[in-house]
Amino acid sequence: MDIQIAKEEKTHILTLSGKLDGVTAPVYEQQVMALLEADPCSLIIDFASLDYISSAGLRALLATAKRIKLKGAQFHCANVTGTVREIFDISGFSSILRMHDSVAGALAAIG
Amino acid sequence: MRATKSIARTFTLIVSVCTVLIFSVAIGSFYHRSRVALEQEVANNAAHLVLASINRVETTLHAIGKVAEDTSRSLEIAGYHDQSLTTLLKETLLDNRDIHGFGAAFDLNPAFNPPHPVVPYYFRQGERLVFAPEGNFQHLSQDWYQIPKELGQMAWSEPSFDKASGTILMTSCSVPIFSDNGREKQVRGVVVADVSLEWLTELVASIRVLDTGYSFLLSRNGTFLTHPDRDLIMNETIFSLAESRHKPDLREIGRKMVLGESGFVAYTNIHDVSTLMYYAPVPSTGWTLAVVFPEAELYADVRNLTLVVAGIALAGILLLTAAVYWVARRVTAPLGALAEATEAIASGHFDTELPAVKSSDEVGKLTLAFTAMTGALKKYIRNLTETTAAKERIQSELKMATDIQASLLPQLFPAFPDRPEFDIHAAMDPAKEVGGDFYDFFFIDPTNLCFLMADVADKGVPAALYMMVAKILLKTEGQRLGEPEQILSRVNEILAADNDSCMFTTVFCAILNTENGEVRFANAGHNAPVLISGGQANFLSIRAGFVLGPIAETVYTAERITLEPGDVLFLYTDGITEAKSRSEELYGEERLLQTLQAASRQELAEMIRTVRAEVFRHADGAPQSDDVTMLAIKYRGMAARNP
Amino acid sequence: MPLVPSNFIIANRHMRRREHAITGNRRLAMWIGLAVPLVLFWLCLAHARAEGLAKVRLMPLWSPQAQFAGYYMAREKGIYARYGLDVDILEGGPGRSPLQSLISGEVDFAVLWLATALQQNDDGLKLVNLAQIIQRSSLMLVAKKASGIAGPADLQGRKVGLWAGELSLPVLAFLERYHLHVQRISQAYTVNLFLRGGIDAASAMWYNEYHTILNAGINPDELQVFSLHEHGISFPEDGLYALEQGYRKDPARARAFAQASLEGWRYAFAHPEETLEVVLRRMREAKVPASRSHQQWMLARMRDLIMPADATETLGRLQLAGFQAAGTILHNHGVIKDIPDYATFTGDADAGH
Repeated sequence: MDIQIAKEEKTHILTLSGKLDGVTAPVYEQQVMALLEADPCSLIIDFASLDYISSAGLRALLATAKRIKLKGAQFHCANVTGTVREIFDISGFSSILRMHDSVAGALAAIG
Repeated sequence: MRATKSIARTFTLIVSVCTVLIFSVAIGSFYHRSRVALEQEVANNAAHLVLASINRVETTLHAIGKVAEDTSRSLEIAGYHDQSLTTLLKETLLDNRDIHGFGAAFDLNPAFNPPHPVVPYYFRQGERLVFAPEGNFQHLSQDWYQIPKELGQMAWSEPSFDKASGTILMTSCSVPIFSDNGREKQVRGVVVADVSLEWLTELVASIRVLDTGYSFLLSRNGTFLTHPDRDLIMNETIFSLAESRHKPDLREIGRKMVLGESGFVAYTNIHDVSTLMYYAPVPSTGWTLAVVFPEAELYADVRNLTLVVAGIALAGILLLTAAVYWVARRVTAPLGALAEATEAIASGHFDTELPAVKSSDEVGKLTLAFTAMTGALKKYIRNLTETTAAKERIQSELKMATDIQASLLPQLFPAFPDRPEFDIHAAMDPAKEVGGDFYDFFFIDPTNLCFLMADVADKGVPAALYMMVAKILLKTEGQRLGEPEQILSRVNEILAADNDSCMFTTVFCAILNTENGEVRFANAGHNAPVLISGGQANFLSIRAGFVLGPIAETVYTAERITLEPGDVLFLYTDGITEAKSRSEELYGEERLLQTLQAASRQELAEMIRTVRAEVFRHADGAPQSDDVTMLAIKYRGMAARNP
Repeated sequence: MPLVPSNFIIANRHMRRREHAITGNRRLAMWIGLAVPLVLFWLCLAHARAEGLAKVRLMPLWSPQAQFAGYYMAREKGIYARYGLDVDILEGGPGRSPLQSLISGEVDFAVLWLATALQQNDDGLKLVNLAQIIQRSSLMLVAKKASGIAGPADLQGRKVGLWAGELSLPVLAFLERYHLHVQRISQAYTVNLFLRGGIDAASAMWYNEYHTILNAGINPDELQVFSLHEHGISFPEDGLYALEQGYRKDPARARAFAQASLEGWRYAFAHPEETLEVVLRRMREAKVPASRSHQQWMLARMRDLIMPADATETLGRLQLAGFQAAGTILHNHGVIKDIPDYATFTGDADAGH
């Protein structure tokens, strides 16, 4: 799984590609936590290139949301589509996480 | 071991060979140049020596020749005859102490008016002069007369021993006396001076040539006039010697000498001694004086010096060889020992002692490095062994944990034989890695059966532990609260309280009213079950709901459906739909529906077996990555109670 | 070594006559001096006869050299003794004449040239040829190629060295044969005149002077050689002679001497190294210049000249043809009036061989 980190208007934009599962979730978690420690600010994850997410991945997202909340920042998800969207829907994550159709939309939401 | 020895040897050999070569070239070159220089020196010295000696000889002989010549001229010009002639001869002899005998010999032809005696002759005897004329006319056919007569010029005769003692070497200088006939000059007589060559042989013998060198004098014909080997004198010519000793090169040298040449030549003499010879002619007589330098003596000094130098060089080379070899061994021996020790270590004896580090050079460093490596290797292997053992232990414990887990789920079927109004069947096939799928069913009260399916997030031990907790909570709260949404809410609260790790589980919780077939259910993020009714299998449309555990405030909503007798509700986890084939194709919801459709008439146990079989067939040997869990419940209706 | 020139012999005779003209006292002393040894000699002879060995004396033609090796070896190896002879070999050479010694009775046998013997015979002194040692002529004329002499014709008008007496006769015959008129220069005992270029061609014996010339540094390919026998002039040379009356007194003894001498020659040729040593020793004793290689050459040539060349020759036998050829040349040159009878000359008539 590949994680691209970008910064735009004091907001981290993570672009995930590949799979977020039991193997890659720890890696993701470690990177994001380090990122938030170093530079705590809002985070947008772009799911456009993510093919699959497992329960481990969902768990990692939860941890991400919790940490961001602690830091007093916002966590948004963008371009959650396909299989990942289905999983989000079934597991109810769609209603818990802030979802947007585009990164721009998410940025706008952060304001 | 052999390898390190040959490095030392090869190195030593190369060094030795190179050193030997260098020294050989140097010494050889030095020796050769010295010899060349010395030879040049010798040639010069020899020339001086010979020419000086020849000069001394020549001076005397030339003077004698002059006397004879002057006398002859006198006899030609003035009319000396008989008495005046003999007086002239006597006086001349008196004046010239170098001459032994002096006289004249005349042709008998009356036209020349020969004197009487025809051969007046004086010779010395001690202090006296003896008059000894010869009247036997032998002179006419003797060399000393004939040669100057026929050649018309002064001639020195071939030396011979004197008649008196036969021990003194004599020669004669004869000069023709011409008479002018007006038309042509004719020889009418000869003036002859006999010369003893004792002084000459002494002079030549006194020529000092090194210690073992010598000189010799050859006559015009090549006869030895002087020579250290007295047997040769007057007996052999240089040519007869060359013939008897089979030395053609000597003959060639002799011919050059006889021709009056001078030269410096290398020559191996009759005693097989290598020599250098310088020769030059005595101008008056055409004799040849030669000095012979034995090469061995000549070059003795140079050779000795070279030998000393060579000896020193050799000693030096030997020392160098020994030193080089010693150093090489010092280097390679530890390497050899190191190699041996390494071999031992490689074969598993990690505690093999490496050779002690004696030096701080490269070999010492190598040894230290090896020691460090061995230590690290030992530690690593120890760790590995421990880790492997630990891992294996964990594996076995996990296996046990999985077994324990599986055994916790209700496995006894038929579960409620005495309640024919419904049937329930379930199965769970755990994946390799211990997982977190579970199901449960239990009576809340005699009429309400609670049944649920859950999928804990992630895998491994955390999932397994969470699963245990969730299952127990669900059961206890389930039996206490009796309504699905309440059960989920309550359990969610409890779980969310100590949930730093954000673990969650999906749960589908349902309660069947066995009297009327009503099913009340609530969903926490679990996939929708399949309702098989009237031979049709379709996914139940349900609300999603958030997963159980992370957020305490999550609200769950109850829904209800009513099962007609014969309806089957099929609960499952994503282990079925996400089962991958070898080509990574998911089993998928469609196939599940198809399978359930096809098995709709089967008894639950069989249906579950079918689904399981289908899933495993789809997997076709691909490793099972997730637990395969399913629960099927069929409502038969109250009528089934009383057949 | 060439034969002693005849004028020397003549001179010798002169000297001997002068000696005779010495005072009477000395004459008496001489007689006594002569008588005593004669008595002793007779006593020795008797003694020798009693022992079985007859004492005889030989004078070779010239000084000791390999030319007379056969006689030295016959004595050295006891061959003469086996033939019942005790041979005393005197020294020849300058101042000595084997002919004179033979005539005076000083020696019983002498080595002489055939020409000399023929001449003496003609003079009235009868000699008997006991054995012809050298079968063919070894006389040659030697010239330097560099002087432009390549053939006999080139000798025309040139200086030619001739020995005195009968030794020159073969050369004169050669010159006659080719109708050559040359400047005749008398040649002594050496080749120095030739070596110095004083004469253009020198008389030489193959076994002697020729090799001397080589040993003076001239290479054979630099010499133009005329071997007289190749040009049809072949004089038998050295032979063993006795006075005819001496021979008649005891022909058996003379024959024995000849046979023993021939056997001595055979031995010498079979043992050249040993023979050389003996010859050189004798030469040194006589204070004659002795060159080993020269004697070696001489001995080898002697072998060529003495041993029969083919079946027609016999060792030691005077060939009739050679005898007659020599005699004819001498006769033609007026040296002898008559050629003696072959049988008488060789003692065949007496011995009946």
